[in-house]
Amino acid sequence: MENFLIFVGMALATYFTRYIMIAALGQEVPPLLRRWLRYVPPAVLAALVVPAALAPQGQLEISTRAWAVLAGAAVAWRTRSVLWTILGGMATFWLFRVLAPYFG
Amino acid sequence: MRDFWRGLLATLPLTPGIVAFGLLYGMMARQVGFSPWEAVAMSLIVHAGSAQFTALGMWETTGAIPIILTTLVINLRHLLMGASVAPYLRGLHPLWKSLLALWMSDESYALAIAEYERGRGSHHYFLGANVGIYLTWPISGLLGALLGAAIPDPSRYGLDLIFPLGFLGLLTAFLKDRIGVAVALAAGGLALVGTFLLPGKWAVIVAGLLGSGLGLLLEETKEAWKTS
Repeated sequence: MENFLIFVGMALATYFTRYIMIAALGQEVPPLLRRWLRYVPPAVLAALVVPAALAPQGQLEISTRAWAVLAGAAVAWRTRSVLWTILGGMATFWLFRVLAPYFG
Repeated sequence: MRDFWRGLLATLPLTPGIVAFGLLYGMMARQVGFSPWEAVAMSLIVHAGSAQFTALGMWETTGAIPIILTTLVINLRHLLMGASVAPYLRGLHPLWKSLLALWMSDESYALAIAEYERGRGSHHYFLGANVGIYLTWPISGLLGALLGAAIPDPSRYGLDLIFPLGFLGLLTAFLKDRIGVAVALAAGGLALVGTFLLPGKWAVIVAGLLGSGLGLLLEETKEAWKTS
């Protein structure tokens, strides 16, 4: 029962962060704010990608992950497709993993 | 209705990533003493992956209040996401807005906002993407809780790359001009530096704010240049 109450508390905290801005900006959005908000998605998406590629554990590491995401970026640029980007990046990751033993 | 299915289908390429982390979550939930039922209940009620993993790490050592506060802090990035999607949801019934907010995850937000940017977005598409993620997450969590200790680390198979790769594919929708590219590069760099310096998800919030601010600044400068 206590666990369940903590779940509800966590859910309320989460829901607050997801809903409050949608509610607050529900009417007329000032033009300047609106123009600023249009740059939020590319900033947030890039901020989710780069650390995952170059610092998955919190410190810088140029590893298979970095090359896989770089290859993914090339595929994304060409195809603009989520599916192909994932396939291209994952294929690169696996190729590096399979070849790694031969290159020490 | 067609848009709903399009949104739901759009989550499919991300599904292996959700399943891999869902299985891991279910296994870890068992390790801190949850029953399989509790593991699923947490996913169904909270529905916030990063926060759930962090909460599990704190479960045996801290009380309810720190866990809930940490959840709040980890999810603060949703303020930015909510703000940027809000202009597209204007005029919708409050029930629609609250329903979309309830299940908004990083992944479904990214899918929906990219579709809006491409001019094909709709609240039905957003709902479909939300539902797709919302169904997969607790089901894979249950499987993980039932399978127990046999779950390997997703990063061994590169499955942790699926979300970043998916975000990369969606990012291209916003790279229509040089300002968009500059914003993405600046925010990516800032987030990387932020990861070394800041705890939790603060890097995403700081990079999101500063990167988008830079975009507006560049746009203003360009306008001023043109009109002068």
